[in-house]
Amino acid sequence: MYFQPKSFQDALRLKSELGGAATPLAGGTDLVVGQRKGHARIENYLDISRVAELRELSERDGFLSIGALVNHARLETCEFSALAAAAATVGGPQIRQLGTIGGQLGTASPAGDVSVALLALQAEVELASIRGRRRIALEDFFLAPGKSALEDDELISTIYVPLGRKSDFYKIGKRNAVAISLLMVAISTDGASDISIAIGCAAPTPLRMKRSEALLGKAGVNETSIVEAAKLAAEDVSPISDHRGSADYRRAMSTVLVQRLLSRMMKRGEL
Amino acid sequence: MRDIPHKAPTASGDKGVASDGTRSWRLKCSVNGEPVDVMVDPTQTIFHVLREELRLTGTKGACLEGECGSCTILIDGKPVTSCLVLAPQVQGTSVTTVEGLADDDRLHPVQDSFIACGAVQCGYCTPGLVVSAAELLEGNPNPSEEEVRKGLAGNLCRCTGYTKIIDAVLAAASDDEEPAAAGAEP
Amino acid sequence: MSTLGKRIRRADARGRVTGETLFGGDLVGSEALTIRVIRAPIAHCNITGLDIEAARAIEGVVAVYTHEDIEGTNKHGLIRRDQEVFVTERVRYRGDALGIIVAEDEATAQRALDAVKIDFEALPIIENAEQALQSDAYPIHPEGNVFCNKLLRKGDAEKAIAEADFTIKCSHSTPGVDHAFLDLEAGYAELDGKTVVIHAPGQWVHEEQRLIALALGVAVENVRIVQPATGGAFGGREDISIQIYLGLAALKLKRPVRIQYTRSESMVTRHKRHPIEIEYTLAAKADGTLCAAKVLITSDEGAYLSTGPAVLRKAVSHCTGPYRVPHIWADGRAVFTNNNPTGAMRGFGAVQMAIAYEGAMARLAKALGMDLLQLKKKNLLQDGEPITTGQTIVISGAEQCLDEAAAEIGWQGRSYESPEPHLRRGFGLSCICFGIGYGDSFPDASRARVKFSDAGKLEVYTGAVDFGQGVHSLAAQIAGHELTVHPSKVEVIAQDTHRTPEAGSSSATRQTVYTGNAVRLAAAELRQEVLDVAASYTGLHWDELTLHEGTVVGKQKESICMPMASVVRLGRERGYKLDITSLYKPTTIAGGAKDGLSPRAFITYMFASHAAEVLVDMETGEVKVERVVAAHDVGRAINPQQVEGQIEGGVVQGLGMALMEEVIVSEGRIVNDGFTDYIIPTIIDAADVKAIIVEREDPEGPYGARGVGEPGLIGTPPAILAAIGDAIGVPLSEAPATAERVWRRIQESRNGGEGERRRASRPSNVVRLRGGK
Repeated sequence: MYFQPKSFQDALRLKSELGGAATPLAGGTDLVVGQRKGHARIENYLDISRVAELRELSERDGFLSIGALVNHARLETCEFSALAAAAATVGGPQIRQLGTIGGQLGTASPAGDVSVALLALQAEVELASIRGRRRIALEDFFLAPGKSALEDDELISTIYVPLGRKSDFYKIGKRNAVAISLLMVAISTDGASDISIAIGCAAPTPLRMKRSEALLGKAGVNETSIVEAAKLAAEDVSPISDHRGSADYRRAMSTVLVQRLLSRMMKRGEL
Repeated sequence: MRDIPHKAPTASGDKGVASDGTRSWRLKCSVNGEPVDVMVDPTQTIFHVLREELRLTGTKGACLEGECGSCTILIDGKPVTSCLVLAPQVQGTSVTTVEGLADDDRLHPVQDSFIACGAVQCGYCTPGLVVSAAELLEGNPNPSEEEVRKGLAGNLCRCTGYTKIIDAVLAAASDDEEPAAAGAEP
Repeated sequence: MSTLGKRIRRADARGRVTGETLFGGDLVGSEALTIRVIRAPIAHCNITGLDIEAARAIEGVVAVYTHEDIEGTNKHGLIRRDQEVFVTERVRYRGDALGIIVAEDEATAQRALDAVKIDFEALPIIENAEQALQSDAYPIHPEGNVFCNKLLRKGDAEKAIAEADFTIKCSHSTPGVDHAFLDLEAGYAELDGKTVVIHAPGQWVHEEQRLIALALGVAVENVRIVQPATGGAFGGREDISIQIYLGLAALKLKRPVRIQYTRSESMVTRHKRHPIEIEYTLAAKADGTLCAAKVLITSDEGAYLSTGPAVLRKAVSHCTGPYRVPHIWADGRAVFTNNNPTGAMRGFGAVQMAIAYEGAMARLAKALGMDLLQLKKKNLLQDGEPITTGQTIVISGAEQCLDEAAAEIGWQGRSYESPEPHLRRGFGLSCICFGIGYGDSFPDASRARVKFSDAGKLEVYTGAVDFGQGVHSLAAQIAGHELTVHPSKVEVIAQDTHRTPEAGSSSATRQTVYTGNAVRLAAAELRQEVLDVAASYTGLHWDELTLHEGTVVGKQKESICMPMASVVRLGRERGYKLDITSLYKPTTIAGGAKDGLSPRAFITYMFASHAAEVLVDMETGEVKVERVVAAHDVGRAINPQQVEGQIEGGVVQGLGMALMEEVIVSEGRIVNDGFTDYIIPTIIDAADVKAIIVEREDPEGPYGARGVGEPGLIGTPPAILAAIGDAIGVPLSEAPATAERVWRRIQESRNGGEGERRRASRPSNVVRLRGGK
């Protein structure tokens, strides 16, 4: 069946009734492609693209509150450098019109540019169902490639990004635009000792570099600690080799990019 | 021609319509200013509906996975890859395709500029490009070269190398009144 | 009035910007039956059972055809008929077809496809040339895996190498490349009386017509190809694709049928550019004078021959490029594998070869401590000198092109400043040449018909296919020039086997010369006839008359003024046809069997030079091409805007081959069968490209024009690879130079992985980089 609910409540009710047999559809940039390639047979389309409340974008209680249907085009101009930069590299302008933040998170790919930026920004995600809403840290949301913490009856409603953090992002793709990522790194800081580093395409999910973060938190940010933190990152990732790139290269780039971004942010006085 | 059964349309879509290939969704929208009211299979893309049902074949499909931009249309003025948009998602919207850019016989400045600047070789990418370029100039009437590149990054061309495409968009921007831009004589 | 040399608008551009122009997939709707093709299950096997009964029984399936339904010859191929239309027993690559489903609609056809049962006996899959050459390798064709050898022997290369002061040895590896034209294979066919009319994209309507008639077992005149507007080809439409399927279904079912490939199907079935391994030895004197070259070429021929032998021959015959090398020893072999057949793609062997000889030249310059520009200038062929095959080059634009390209990029005094410490700038130069036309005595001709309609409208009829390169516009300009009619008033009727004369393929950079000349000859003769008619009417001698803006006027007598329409009417009344068909058919001479040399391997050669500037991220290996300059001696630019467009487009395709394009296979299956992972340059990847037109008129070409299609691509990868090598300090040996490959090269060089430069007195090391698997 094909459903196009107008309200979030209707959408949640349908998701509750149909559970895993209902596939949420927003921009279609992953779903429609996957369906055409025969990746999954969709029993029920839950087209939530008309649920207006999911398009809200506002500051509230110390967070930027981003509705699940906010598209990458709108995120390109947001106040967080890493998020804006990541959103700007998603596909081309057309894909950025269609693709949504909720859609990318729902796909739960380790190659999601925006996912990696959000992870570094210590984002939280609110999952809604007719049972209520729960808010979890993004690092608890990604479980495995293509698998998230969403229950069968839940939909993503809002993503919360804590205000005030400075951030940066770098992505290596196989060409200069509209490229599937080979590796990306995002880093954010509160300007003091709370530094978050996230890497994508180097593990089954977007991953926080906890040991690197701890080292920087303890030793402070300087040229030596940056190099050390970057080396730890290479140890903590578990990339695979595929036709896009080898594990060796991804591992080596983890070090290079962590070092590069930390140095950049330090030079700008953000760290 | 096989008779295709269809279900009666539901009021708001809450009840859902069949997604088994039957034409169960009543699509109502406008395309290039003209009202459209047609029964479609809800799992079909608007790309398919435009080309197969409405026979507007100007919109092209070089990859059908959102990578090439040849299927670019505008939905409420925003450029999207139509091969990824299911038909029900344009319900109530205003769709613009390449066929809607010209005003009767008068070409859109971007269209004329493409011809004048030699930006058309095989022409297969051209519809998607002129739609993207028209929208780009709508929002940014005086773009820099870098902004033109960024704005057209979602449109692939295999023939021209893009140089004259950039020239054409910049020429159309600087020359809105007299679109017989730099380059070619008639 | 003449538009020769003017940047005129193309008449066919308007329909493309409005979307009105119909391509193969736009022609018919769902009223036509849909065809889907049953493909091979794996890359190498014997089919032991093909059960189509369940598929046939599905409601809405109209027919399922296999080899049993081929009434004619179940074979096709451009040089050898070695490819079956439908496999009888042996599958040799993933794209082999076993049959077709014809159904009422797409969904039914897909269900039927899923219901087909294929039984097969797997055979060992040969993934590359190296595996194919093993002594115990499974023979893909009965005669074995090495199809052919092409050689070239000139002077005494072994002796010259032994006596040289400097010898460079290097190996290069080039990828399989896909044409990636945007307009996917699509078309339709219907029966018109006894004639099956096929609307499908190709590159040579008359050859396709012959191949289809052969397969269907019908007379050639009962197959008509009316080719629709076509979106790009680049050599990728030379081989038969959908045409026989369309013809077969339309003929048998007597109903309109259509077919539409997906991007994946298009990539998996189409032939590719030959991946080639080249071992190159270049020997020189201490002052940089080249003495000898020894070249060993191994190309992956894939499952079938396609135009492989011609590609190999082109590579061998271009093995020293535009340089003066008196002693040459070259051997090329084409090796079958279970990959896609490899065949024509823009450059046709010459681009792979250019990567190798320019790679050797860059290494030599470094070994000699000589400026690359000076080394090239010292050795470039001048007018009247013999090229690789021994043919005398009448006009060599090589040095002028090099000077122009180097000046434009700012070679002298170039600055290596970079915006960031981890970014390094690099500059590269390339010099290339390219023989025009098929060459090697392969029959090569074009016929064109130029006439006036009864109303006095100038019409050109040509079989030449235009897939964007502009040959139709060229034809209008040439006919218009001769008859003093503006091209916008010339009607070009084209690419229809039953209405237009055969023009040969749109390939080999040949149409400007071949069809251009055919049109010129016909139009010139028509002009004469027009003057004869007017002369007979006015009582003057034809030499006292001339044409001006489509009107016959007296040279001296201003009172004479006859509009073309009246001349045509009067002429036809008096029995003048005013309808001329001309043939342009020059000959070339095949290379000698023992030495591959020929005094006329090609009717003429093009010379060009490219310069590239890059920025390399030394930590990630990422490359940004900032600028490419391409100077091409096109002889005469009939329409400079179109000539630039061809060069610019070729440059960006070459950039793709240099940096990001490679067909990745695993057990004969193409892994990157779509635009997500087979990546071509976007507008952001495309460099700032400057095309420079050099005009040293060619005695062969129409008004001196030589053609331009392929060299724009050929010169680019060598220049970009040289620039990257310049930036990182060590040469590359592999294309594409992806970030990872560049990064690895940088790591290797830091670990002392260089070591190519030796004097001839000590044996050289061959540095071979074969990564990426």
